[in-house]
Amino acid sequence: MEENSVKYDSDLFEFASYDKDESEHIAAPKYSYWKSVWRTFVKDKFTVGVAILLLILILFALIQPSVSGYDPLIAPNINNSEMRFIKPCAEHIFGTDNVGNEVFDVVWAGAKNSIIISFVCTFITMVLGVVIGAVWGFSKKIDKWMLEVYNVVANVPFLLLAMILSYVLGAGMGTLIFVMCVTEWVFVAFFIRTQVMIIRDREYNLASKCLGTSNWTMIKNNILPYLISVIMTYVSRMVPSLISYEVFLSYMGLGLGVTKASLGRMISIYTSYMNGYPHLFWIPVTVLAILSISLYIVGQKLADAADPRTHM
Amino acid sequence: MSKGYIRNRLLRSVISILIIMLIVFTLVYSLVPRNSIFSGDDGYRKLAAKPDDKTDYVYNIWQKLGYLTFVRSSDYFQTLYAVDSPEMAEALQPGSEAAEQFKAKYEADGYTVEAYTKSGRYYAYKDVPIIKHVAIWFANLIKIDTPWSVKDENNPDLKRGLSFGLTESGGVALIGSGTTHKYLLYTDSHFPWLHQNIIKLNFGDSYPTYQGLDVMTVLFQTQGTEVKRPVTYATGKEGESGIIFGTLTYKTILDRMDRQKFTDNYATFRTAKNQPSMIGTSFIIGVFSLLIAYGLGLPIGVLMARQKDKLADKLGMVYIIFIIAVPSLAYIYLFRYLATAAFDLPSVFTTYGASDIRSWILPTVSLALPSIAGLMLWTRRYVVDQMSQDYVKFAKAKGLNQREIFNGHIFKNAIIPIAQGIPASLAGCIAGAIITESIYAVGGMGKMLPDAIQQHNNVMVVALAFLFATISVLSVLAGDIILTKVDPRISLTEKAGRS
Repeated sequence: MEENSVKYDSDLFEFASYDKDESEHIAAPKYSYWKSVWRTFVKDKFTVGVAILLLILILFALIQPSVSGYDPLIAPNINNSEMRFIKPCAEHIFGTDNVGNEVFDVVWAGAKNSIIISFVCTFITMVLGVVIGAVWGFSKKIDKWMLEVYNVVANVPFLLLAMILSYVLGAGMGTLIFVMCVTEWVFVAFFIRTQVMIIRDREYNLASKCLGTSNWTMIKNNILPYLISVIMTYVSRMVPSLISYEVFLSYMGLGLGVTKASLGRMISIYTSYMNGYPHLFWIPVTVLAILSISLYIVGQKLADAADPRTHM
Repeated sequence: MSKGYIRNRLLRSVISILIIMLIVFTLVYSLVPRNSIFSGDDGYRKLAAKPDDKTDYVYNIWQKLGYLTFVRSSDYFQTLYAVDSPEMAEALQPGSEAAEQFKAKYEADGYTVEAYTKSGRYYAYKDVPIIKHVAIWFANLIKIDTPWSVKDENNPDLKRGLSFGLTESGGVALIGSGTTHKYLLYTDSHFPWLHQNIIKLNFGDSYPTYQGLDVMTVLFQTQGTEVKRPVTYATGKEGESGIIFGTLTYKTILDRMDRQKFTDNYATFRTAKNQPSMIGTSFIIGVFSLLIAYGLGLPIGVLMARQKDKLADKLGMVYIIFIIAVPSLAYIYLFRYLATAAFDLPSVFTTYGASDIRSWILPTVSLALPSIAGLMLWTRRYVVDQMSQDYVKFAKAKGLNQREIFNGHIFKNAIIPIAQGIPASLAGCIAGAIITESIYAVGGMGKMLPDAIQQHNNVMVVALAFLFATISVLSVLAGDIILTKVDPRISLTEKAGRS
């Protein structure tokens, strides 16, 4: 036995200090969900390019109107017929419109308001819709009654509500945002409810429930992360559809009113000049299309990146 | 699916519709100032110089629309005193004892009593609460025509009863006397060949637009110019007219012309016109655009799924994104611009009218554009989801070819959620399309609601809201029933279901 024993020299070793916190640490690369989302997102160079273009467009739309000082109530060239309907040229980049305003200024002033309206509306309806929809989908007791609420809110004629509200409250940005949100949330909530119901009874949630997880923690930690990609997809379609909505309302004479520019009002006024002065039609539509399409592409890519199923 | 479930759901739908109508009535009758209904009324404008007549007119209209109940002191005195009696003349003096009694009595009942500007006589009015207003509206909604419907003091000898006979145009009919309609049931050569006038939906008379017509007539009567044909009246008189004999209704005061044509008091009628009704127009455009949408959207969606990430899929996505990103107003104008340049098609409906098929093509196709995109998107999504299912692998392992798997298995499963939406899309045809119809100047239902709101036609707004809400709630139910029929695995009553 003696020849097998190894002689240890105590000089070669020293005692390690014991750290309780350190011992709990798992020596794996740190994982952060959002960082992982970000990494997947920036991998696609095309989408990053579109996102940068989108950011530039939004910033430009927010800043340019305060530089140009465009005001729809002041049309300085309204009596100067030579200034009307000028085709795009070096002096007038986007040409001029039916009252002699620079289309370039009008487009950006309109884009600014349309972007603000659609973003604010999307934010409000998504927050309301996701919170209400999550609770609605989770509780069967609430579901029975919320279905009737949905039936009622979804079937009060939207135009009637919009027209009477803008009649009572007066036209303006606040009214428009209110009118757009007042029924829209219920559709988001209904959509989220169906999604929640699909995930609610999955095995991992049943297990979680057996282990005593509270409803709120289950909604917050087990269900909502699964819905991020679905919500992203919804948002990426909602922003353009709200701008279209605004065009529709403007066409019905229910939009922002004459005091404020918006893409919707521009498009609804300029479409009648489509045959004679096509640039008046094409410029706002193109700006809107670029905004909508890039929002859609970025949103879809974010949705793909945010899907927890791609993170396994 | 159990009958109990459908019954419960119908019951809850009725409650939903009641609440919807309560909200609509509140919006229309209390949020909008009631004076605004006169803004488009010529009759009101003509009374500007006669303040008392104007007050009478205004309060009578409000009473007719159900805003309030209205009592004139002179009407009240007629129930107490004989006409032309000295007491009557005395009571009609402003400030008389009877007038003060009138004021005290009605103020005690909660009425507001005011005096006419010129004559100084009193009148009283009291607002009808919204709930009562809705209740009255629903109570009058269904009108059944009986031999006791007509109440005409000038015609006490009017016979009351039913009999069988022939109409002037030769159809078989159940003829009523004392009923509002002459022909309660009749046959003729027009779709649906057997017509009935016994049970009618009664939404009230339209005001201030389409004055004097009831809402159902406005929506369902043919439009345009009268189509005349040689006819023989009951008296044997012959003439040229577009009269539809089935629509004859009771008329209290007959003129000389009426007596030459008719042997009885049924002398009010509608005439046939050359353009379809508002509902008809919207429905024709809607149904054909649905056919186009399903005919193109489904196969293209399947094709996109089969060619996923290849050229066909990408081209399809470009179209879908275009429709999502560009407002409908813009792409419909663009489509019209391109289509009128390429083909010999009219840019507005009214150029050739309803009788020419060319008028219908562009509105129908325009309306189909967004539906095609929606169907493509969802069909593609559902088919792609089905393609990774185990049964597909199994079918492949059993040796079925791609076409058999797609047509026989995947498509059947992918179509399930789409089938649910069919009743709702069909119902949507009745509501019409606002933008398409106004761009092409089509006389359909689309513009009815916004126009009615803008012209303060409260009767019409309420009727349309009720029609649209009922149709939509029922079509969701119909969609669910279809869902369980095409996929027997789905049960709506299942307790522990996953939706």
